[in-house]
Amino acid sequence: MNQSFGNDTEKLGNDSKKPDNDLNPVRPHKADLFTRIVTLSPKLLLIILILPVLGGLISVLLPAFGWVPAIEQTTFGLQGFQALWQTSGLGQMVALSLATGLISTLLAFMTALMILAAFFDSIWLTRIERLLSPILVIPHAAAAIAVGFLIAPSGMMARLVSPWLSGWELAPQGIFPHDPYGISIILGLMLKELPFLLLMSLGALAQPELGKKLREQYKVALNLGYYPITAFFKAVFPLLYPLLRLPILAVLAYASASVEMPLILGPNTPPTLAVTIMQWFNDVDLNLRLKASAGAILQLLLTGGLIALWLGAERTIKALCKGALTNGKRHYIDSIWQRFTAALTVLIIGFIALSLIGLVTWSVAGYWRFPAMLPEQLVLLHFQSAFTQLGTPLFNTLTIGIISTVFAIVLTLLCLESESLSRKSISSFTSLIIYLPLLVPSIAFLFGLVWLQQLLTHQAAFFHVTFTHLLFVLPYVFLSLASSYRRLDTRFANVAASLGASPVRVFLQVKLPQLFAPILIAIALGLAVSFGQYLPTLLASGGRIATITTEAVTLANGASRRTSAVYAMIQMVLPLVGFIVAWVLPKYFFRSGTRYR
Amino acid sequence: MQVIRSSSMIKALKNLSRYCAYAIALSACMSISASTTSITPLTTDKELSAWQQIQKSGENQDVYFHAWGGDPQINAYIQWAAKAVDDAYNINLVHVKLSDTSEAVSRVLAEKSANNDTQGSVDLIWINGANFASMSENSLLLKDWANNLPNFVLTDPKNNPSVTYDFGIPTKGMESPWGQASLTFYYDSLAIDQPPATLTELASWTQQNPGRFSYPKPPDFLGMSFLKYALIMLHEQNDAQAGTNIQAQLNQPVSDSNKDIVLEPLWDFLDELHPSLWREGQQFLQSGAQMRRLVDDTELSLAFTFSGPEVPAAVQRYDLPLSIRSYAMRDGSLSNTHFVAIPYNASHTEAAQLVANFLLSPEAQAYKQDPSVWGDKSVLVSSILSREQQALFKTNQPHPSALPFDAINRTVSEPHPSWVEAIMQGWQARYGVRE
Repeated sequence: MNQSFGNDTEKLGNDSKKPDNDLNPVRPHKADLFTRIVTLSPKLLLIILILPVLGGLISVLLPAFGWVPAIEQTTFGLQGFQALWQTSGLGQMVALSLATGLISTLLAFMTALMILAAFFDSIWLTRIERLLSPILVIPHAAAAIAVGFLIAPSGMMARLVSPWLSGWELAPQGIFPHDPYGISIILGLMLKELPFLLLMSLGALAQPELGKKLREQYKVALNLGYYPITAFFKAVFPLLYPLLRLPILAVLAYASASVEMPLILGPNTPPTLAVTIMQWFNDVDLNLRLKASAGAILQLLLTGGLIALWLGAERTIKALCKGALTNGKRHYIDSIWQRFTAALTVLIIGFIALSLIGLVTWSVAGYWRFPAMLPEQLVLLHFQSAFTQLGTPLFNTLTIGIISTVFAIVLTLLCLESESLSRKSISSFTSLIIYLPLLVPSIAFLFGLVWLQQLLTHQAAFFHVTFTHLLFVLPYVFLSLASSYRRLDTRFANVAASLGASPVRVFLQVKLPQLFAPILIAIALGLAVSFGQYLPTLLASGGRIATITTEAVTLANGASRRTSAVYAMIQMVLPLVGFIVAWVLPKYFFRSGTRYR
Repeated sequence: MQVIRSSSMIKALKNLSRYCAYAIALSACMSISASTTSITPLTTDKELSAWQQIQKSGENQDVYFHAWGGDPQINAYIQWAAKAVDDAYNINLVHVKLSDTSEAVSRVLAEKSANNDTQGSVDLIWINGANFASMSENSLLLKDWANNLPNFVLTDPKNNPSVTYDFGIPTKGMESPWGQASLTFYYDSLAIDQPPATLTELASWTQQNPGRFSYPKPPDFLGMSFLKYALIMLHEQNDAQAGTNIQAQLNQPVSDSNKDIVLEPLWDFLDELHPSLWREGQQFLQSGAQMRRLVDDTELSLAFTFSGPEVPAAVQRYDLPLSIRSYAMRDGSLSNTHFVAIPYNASHTEAAQLVANFLLSPEAQAYKQDPSVWGDKSVLVSSILSREQQALFKTNQPHPSALPFDAINRTVSEPHPSWVEAIMQGWQARYGVRE
């Protein structure tokens, strides 16, 4: 998916293109309007991504050092940080953020690796991926709600063993969710990030040159007598990892600073740093802004620290294991690992299935007293009452999603077209910038961004929300489209151009139809990302624009299991519909167009 | 810095254009009046009463109603009201769902500090207690409008201080009463035979049934209400035993001299209570709504709410089991009124007043009191209503889970709002971070 990050693939890709280039250089005879727009688009992309993030960060930095003209604080100082240090429980908040972020990422990464290693080049890998990929589109809030239903003292797990085994007639006193150690958060984040990392790995392996090379190396290793898991770690992993680095760092950054999961699954005495910062920013007392901004800076340092730690550990492990790669040892208790991974995979899939079953059941449950396995009656009342109030949030969700996604798609296509016109892959700087909104904790820059937006105009909440969504939609759309675009068979375009078609015609009538399926997938992904945004929607609109996700989070810790189950279901169904459409439509339109080299 | 400067530039430009518009409008008026003075002076505007003028200018507008949105039943009631004001005045009432009312307060405060004095995003806000105290202290509310609402007389304001005082602070027409609430307890009758009926009984019941009771974490409104109830009851007991009158301090603002002596008994009580609470008092509930859900989960057996009728309603929606029963504490029920207020910078003040007046109408109040709708107690005084209006409030057979009609035998009023902050800070320092 993210071809540009691997140096090896770049070289391979460029080498194989060279003969074409020299034979038929497609050069527009003169720069028409389309070409000019296309050439400008990468700059626009950079501006759209850099300005809000940096502007937001600066707007948080100033108040952190005491400069808030709104409450007549214009002397620079460290009051904000002093107030922050004096917060009781700060150490626990920081520890919770660090631990949940790091452990969940590590677990997700290791599980993804184990699954890859145990099932590499087997039909099971794609099956597992297919089973897990729906999780990818489930917004974090909905996933958290589903996990909460499962692990609560009155949840599905306790019901499975009660009262016949446990003797519980009333729900037991448990610690999940909201356990003080953050285990619930780790579990939720890990289950949510695992499919993402798995998909990213498979995306990398799907790249024609690299994938082929790795599979060949793997086969050679097997033939040399290496056991499968060992073969994967010695022959495939070292080349695969560079392509996974940025997605992992994005996961790490997200996990250490996310708000939805800790809000729904985490403790509140005290909560994680990110949740506390959000509460400070929303407090009546404007003086808390100083402390909140200082907290945002601390969060930035924490996330930065974690990323540095990860990169450091990566170096260390690389140095330590260098010898092991070439020591010729064929297996490390492989069969046990193989069985362990199989069991773990079944466990994870079972866990996910059980959470989803619980979710669906709650959404139609009548009276359902613990420890009954099934509700006393099934009712549609909860859906009915939700649907009477759903109109506006649904409309907002869809409009914001569609506008931001369409804009992101157009901009991405133009950028990729400029890449192919100039015959240069975008620089690694640009690649990093595309990841910027995913790497910088949103809690750190969003408040500054909202403040900047308020300075421009108070009345355009809808525009502000859509623009803020764009920041998060754009990276995913770009990453999803880039690999397909770069894999396009250039010969079609060359033929069209040599027949006299203008660049715009080549773009619209030759390239786009070929890209029909990937574009639809990118649209579905963009919509899913937009649908799932909680903090950006809440902050940029000042709570004035309700979407399905903001409603779901508001209801999650609220009155009714049944209502929050309904909202979580709707949250899941919306993006799924998008992906199903994206999957079905190409079977009927432009079928001949999707032809890759 | 440059951004700031340019924003003030924009503002200056805006003002300039506004003055231009005024000038044009003024000259237009002058030319019209010049042409009409010879016939009759324009008196129609004066003939309209002040209320009719409000009605005239308030129609066809948007009203952004910032109200806590955590309860589907209340949300549905607000939607019903939105439809009614749409039919009556073509007002587009938008419910901005807050998870905490302080969000709206901080928004208005932020707007004020950004010099946005006329185009505020909040038109109407559901409020009482500390949030009202903080808004009125900072002059963030429109004054002297609520007492002029036509339906306000139905609350009998002269003889009914509960609609003109909010936690002991005079409302001065800044907020219009919306409903009344008393602390109501409810329990799972399959898990408890005889629920505790006083604070002392509650403490000993919790000892015997560890983990089956808790309260929402301050600053949650309901959690604070429980702490206030406990504080008042503790002082009643202590005063009766020792012959002192420390309880009277609760109606005075907090000061350094009375703070510790008043709050000390509460901390002693909580130190003893917490180990036998849900999760051993190491984790507290996020909200009253979560407390209700945990009763449904059978994790908790006893809970409380400030809007008693939500309990039978939740049972009807399957959100609580059929075995739930409501009751009021024998030693007293904490009671207060909740209001709607208009921020000083609201964009649509007239329309907001129309909405507030509608919310106060017998029709809206009666529908609200219906247990199947929301069940929030009406603020109207029944003796003032006409017979037809009284008939609106008649209800059918009460639900078995509802609070029996005459259950509340004693109400106790809220302490001075400054105690909220003191309790909250003291609580946070002692119990906010687990050991």
